[in-house]
Amino acid sequence: MANDWRSFEPLLIPDIPNLQKIDVYEENGGYGALRKILNDTEKWSRENVTNEVKQANIRGRGGAGFNAGLKWSFMPKPDGGPRYLACNGDESEPGTFKDRKIFEYNPHLFIEGALIAAYAMTVDTIYVYIRGEYIDWVHMLQKAVDDAYEKGYLGKDILGKGVDIDMHLTYGAGAYICGEETSMLESLEGKRGYPRVKPPFPAQKGLWGRPTTINNIETLANVPLVINNGAEWYGNIGAEGHPGPVLYGISGHVENPGVYELPSGVPVMDLINEVAGGIRGGKNLKALIPGGSSTPVLRADQLEGVTMNADSLRDAGSMMGTAGMVVMDEDTDMVDVLWRIAHFYHHESCGQCTPCRDGTGWLEKILLKIKNGEGEVKDLDLLLDLTTQMEGRTICALADAAAWPVRHTINRFRDEFEARCKKSVHAVA
Amino acid sequence: MPEVFIDGKRYEFEGDHMALQYMLDQGLEVPFFCYHPSMSIPANCRQCMVKAGQYMKNDETGEYELDEEGERKIRWFPKLQTSCALKLSDGMVIQTQETSDEAERAQKDTLEFILANHPLDCPICDQAGECPLQIQTYKYGPEGSRFEVKKVHKPKRVELGPRVTLDAERCINCTRCVRFTEEISESHQLTIVSRGDKNYPITAPSETFDDPYSLNTVDICPVGALTSTDFRFKARVWEMNQTPSIDISNGKGCNVDLWTRDNEVLRITPRQNDHVNDYWMPDESRNAYKLFNENRVSRPFIKLDGDNQSNSSWNNAIETFAEVLEANDSSDILLIGSPHASVEENYTFNKFFNLLGAPNARFATHIIDGYGDDFLITDDQAPNTSGCRLLNLDESSSSELKTAVSQAKVVITLGDDLIDRDVLSVSDLEDPYVVSLATNHNEMTKASDLVIPITCVAEHAASYVNIDGRIQRSFPAKETKYSNRRLNLEMSEGRLDRFGTNFDNWVNEDNKVDCLPVWEFLNKLAERLGLEFEYRHSREIMTEISEKLDTFADVSFERMDEEKGIQLPIKQSKVEQK
Repeated sequence: MANDWRSFEPLLIPDIPNLQKIDVYEENGGYGALRKILNDTEKWSRENVTNEVKQANIRGRGGAGFNAGLKWSFMPKPDGGPRYLACNGDESEPGTFKDRKIFEYNPHLFIEGALIAAYAMTVDTIYVYIRGEYIDWVHMLQKAVDDAYEKGYLGKDILGKGVDIDMHLTYGAGAYICGEETSMLESLEGKRGYPRVKPPFPAQKGLWGRPTTINNIETLANVPLVINNGAEWYGNIGAEGHPGPVLYGISGHVENPGVYELPSGVPVMDLINEVAGGIRGGKNLKALIPGGSSTPVLRADQLEGVTMNADSLRDAGSMMGTAGMVVMDEDTDMVDVLWRIAHFYHHESCGQCTPCRDGTGWLEKILLKIKNGEGEVKDLDLLLDLTTQMEGRTICALADAAAWPVRHTINRFRDEFEARCKKSVHAVA
Repeated sequence: MPEVFIDGKRYEFEGDHMALQYMLDQGLEVPFFCYHPSMSIPANCRQCMVKAGQYMKNDETGEYELDEEGERKIRWFPKLQTSCALKLSDGMVIQTQETSDEAERAQKDTLEFILANHPLDCPICDQAGECPLQIQTYKYGPEGSRFEVKKVHKPKRVELGPRVTLDAERCINCTRCVRFTEEISESHQLTIVSRGDKNYPITAPSETFDDPYSLNTVDICPVGALTSTDFRFKARVWEMNQTPSIDISNGKGCNVDLWTRDNEVLRITPRQNDHVNDYWMPDESRNAYKLFNENRVSRPFIKLDGDNQSNSSWNNAIETFAEVLEANDSSDILLIGSPHASVEENYTFNKFFNLLGAPNARFATHIIDGYGDDFLITDDQAPNTSGCRLLNLDESSSSELKTAVSQAKVVITLGDDLIDRDVLSVSDLEDPYVVSLATNHNEMTKASDLVIPITCVAEHAASYVNIDGRIQRSFPAKETKYSNRRLNLEMSEGRLDRFGTNFDNWVNEDNKVDCLPVWEFLNKLAERLGLEFEYRHSREIMTEISEKLDTFADVSFERMDEEKGIQLPIKQSKVEQK
């Protein structure tokens, strides 16, 4: 199917005018999946819905790529107390800008997906955490939520079927860490966004100590597709083991940057050359960050035959992440790029864990030295050493996200970094 | 019983344990900064990293799986674990820095990161000498620094509140202070601001850190970031003696350490006692140290003509006191004991004058209704109200005491400013001959005809019964004119005692107060009056009390030392105002 990407018709953001309007969404079969379930709760028991999603193998689109249905199944049995679904729309990693397309063009698909997830997990309250800078999209989603309440898809006794589910929007104040799932929970609780130590995991102890599942916006938007068409149909879209439509956010030195919906597993070079119109100005490709700035950069010569799915990218030495592809042409200064990425992670480290708090700053400062031509070759080895001191030593993955680009960019473009370092002068005895 | 294997040694355990605390309980050492046994576990310093795994068991047989060499197979966790947040489970295998190069390296790496932006100025830092970061860097840290770029400079000398000053650049973001205000004092006055290596704890804008327990954050700060405004840069910890004692500023009897240098108490810090105060104490109790140094009664005072008091020799004071006692009938003598004085002081005071025929001493409680909180500050402002009651002193209201004073010809009081706290007035004391056994000059000593200087809690070994009925004791922390650190077995010795000489400019005789323990003064008075009354030590007094009074049965200084105080067979949740 991935090979047929050219004939693929978008499913998440189809080309239907005014689809953000609830009437248009309904006219095009919108909320059909929800109706299907609520009209036949015997067939579509909560467990069956979860199993269908599990079987479809929707891999989380927030970066980690975990099976969404499996994640739902970690929720403990209801005990009568509150349970939550927290929807993560706090995308703010450089290169990642896909969820806003859903908020803008097809918000009800996400709402419907979230409602199905809430039903499957016996959740009665959904929180949507959106990046604060997305104020226009916040308004768009709020309008959609208001319309869904008015039409009886949200609130008490949904579609007269005795199911009560509420949805609340919360927007962040601009901290990247709040996109990390447990920091997001802290932020939703009104606290400073610090990651939580796991265990306990959110499914056991999440918002206000209650069972909570956190899903990415795009992940949830895939759910109605599975319910409408079945797990088998979904599993045949795109790459094996990583199926479904994907929103590719292509930015950087391409002629037509943007968000493109295509199946998973599209060849990287097709995405760059055909979908995004090729490298800007007819230049050559130098490097690609495949899935947001934290995913390891790949040299152009490493991209042959690589497709956009977890296995292929892992084999190539990188990750799928959020499919936020940053394309860099031959004129790109990798030292400048890496310093800018390091600057971002230094700025965004929450400061809770020592290796991240002090490591991210140290990385950036050394890179600034090198960028300014004041670095020495030994600084490169120090940088690599520091990344090993940071990786896997912190509560959340921000330290890893800061360390990987440094390690892989230096390893894959070492000559360029060495050339920027000043020549070492050694005294001759 | 479940078992764990730490550095190759097998331990059996029961119940739930976190690995770090369990290892500390076993006497093992793993470095840490953010962990505090009384607060939640944030696992943010990442210093207590260990390698951990699990012996693999066969699901069907429950037997351990063995490798080709017959050794148990271990499934190591993919990452190093922070031992503070690692829950022990049956068959867990832990390697600390003692046996794991990986753990040792991680701890060294973490310290290198902590020191990257931390000032490396231990010689001038206020925390030097008692800084866990300093100690752990020596034990587990890297040699030298590879940090050759500019450090982050955060705010310095920030007055967070009336008692706490922040040097933010030293902060390692352990969040102990923030968690203290959230979880212990519940004032929620501190939070962390800014991100990454720029962050530090502070109050909300325009708010002040005036939490009545604010100074506890200074105690638990693992670096010199939070300092006591009062004590900051006043002394070095290695110059001081640290003596265990009891807080005498309220009825809780918080366990404390008195920090002395050159016979002055320079600060008071809490001493852990899970039965009484955990690790904490109120700020106001720390101010009590001034009473031990300032405005002390040194040498007896006698009112000779009119209202003028003048210094007198001890011989003259004893002779004067004896003559007053001889000239008056014992029934005309009124004894007023004190909830501010120790069990031993009240006991010997009462016993001595009983021998002369005087009735039991009275005492007035010092309770301010509504003053206390639900934590460590009590309505009772005295440390030994329960002790006075258990010694059968007569609890008297202000009016009862006024009537008794008006009927007495001689009033003898023990370490209690009854005027300042409005139990008696100056005019009440105009007619009788008033003798005060006192530690500090106050309204009561001003109104007295004879003032006998006595030792304070910082100068004697004595016990106090707190509002919950727990008897705890103090040790002498300061020398008096007649005591010597090297001759008195109760006293600790510090660096200066061992290595200083009388010619060192920090040794100052002026700071030794010319006073006596109550029992020692009464010894001398007894000798003059020909009474059979002699103690050699306060320990003897407690031995006698335990023999005579059932409530104190089996109480001894030794037991109090071993058990951190003894719960007496009484329990008073609240001391009622009479």
